[in-house]
Amino acid sequence: MDPNIVVGPNPRMRAIFEYVALIGPGLGSVLVTGESGTGKEVVANALHQHSARRNKPFVAVSCALFADTLIESELFGHERGAFTGAMAARPGRFERADGGTLFLDDIDDVPLSMQVKLLRALQNRTVERLGGTRSIPIDVRVVAGTKRDLQQMVAEGKFREDLYYRLNVLSLTLPPLRERREDLSVLAEHFLRKFFARRQQALPPISEGVMMALQSYDWPGNVRELENTCERIAESCTCGKVRVGCLGASVLFPSTDSEFGEMPQQMSVTDMASGVVNERRGPELSAQSYPDLPLDERLRRIEAEIIGAVLAETGGNKSKAALRLGIKRSTLGDRIQRCGIESAQVS
Amino acid sequence: MTTSEMVETVLERLRPALNADGGDIELVNLEGDVVRVRLTGACSGCPSAEMTLRVGVEGALRRVRPGLRVVPVL
Repeated sequence: MDPNIVVGPNPRMRAIFEYVALIGPGLGSVLVTGESGTGKEVVANALHQHSARRNKPFVAVSCALFADTLIESELFGHERGAFTGAMAARPGRFERADGGTLFLDDIDDVPLSMQVKLLRALQNRTVERLGGTRSIPIDVRVVAGTKRDLQQMVAEGKFREDLYYRLNVLSLTLPPLRERREDLSVLAEHFLRKFFARRQQALPPISEGVMMALQSYDWPGNVRELENTCERIAESCTCGKVRVGCLGASVLFPSTDSEFGEMPQQMSVTDMASGVVNERRGPELSAQSYPDLPLDERLRRIEAEIIGAVLAETGGNKSKAALRLGIKRSTLGDRIQRCGIESAQVS
Repeated sequence: MTTSEMVETVLERLRPALNADGGDIELVNLEGDVVRVRLTGACSGCPSAEMTLRVGVEGALRRVRPGLRVVPVL
């Protein structure tokens, strides 16, 4: 199967891979949600590999790469003379993916004006090149990727509801790496083996200290960051064993750390779960709290207190807390991170 | 918190992982803005480890006290 797919012990990821195998052969659009670096494109590719389309093109494009005016010609192509500089006709990504799979990453970055055109293309299964007059039929399976919660964006009026439903026929949410720490050793070994092989070297033994450091780091860049870390190790390790010293400074000394009182105080979830926060800050919440701070910082602190109080009630159980707060479990994770509550200590 | 306490706090965080590898790290001395530290055991003498140490410890210290410089010694 796909050599990029590494299956570790995490049950949620295992379920995702099974689901990918199940829906891969279908035609319905798939919406893949996940933080940057969680492997949205890898999943899109795996869906393609599981389908009868596997010998046809897999085209991946990030919608965040293009200016509002360029994205249309990038996706749908243009005819000669459609705009200044359009010297020759050019097929768009939809046409280039014909018969195969089109992965539209960062779909949340598509401007509203373009969303309606995208919806039309998906609904009619045809595209019209910029400056062209004929409709070109396309047979493409669309997989869309997003870092943000599209449903939330729909509620805020930033994403068209009709397009959301068209894309979200099947949906997958990839967990951040910090929520699947049990996969770390399998993934690290896979990447290290790959990068040492590039230097024509076998995988050297990996020390216990390295595994400890990998486990205690939060991986804000997720699997992509782990992959880069492993590449760094393979490029610079000279002693025949992967040890703590081979790790990059960013992993050993994360910049969000605040071991000294002079830096902005971070709260740990264990502090919150044990009710320390309530003692420290008092349970009273009001619009008058923290009057001297800028609005965003005030809101952040109040939010942290509310989340902390609920986590304390649920004994640190994030799923129960999310339910009680009326938000999705993944949203709670994002908010905990945004509020500067260390999630490393929850498992 | 004095500078040497700060350095110790930073080194302390690294210590468990280093100890697990049969190594350690120690503060040799402080002279003005220069912090001299030494790696012992497994990773001592490894250029990659020294780079990590210099960038990491220095970065962590400078976030609180800009201007500090870390010099690894053998």
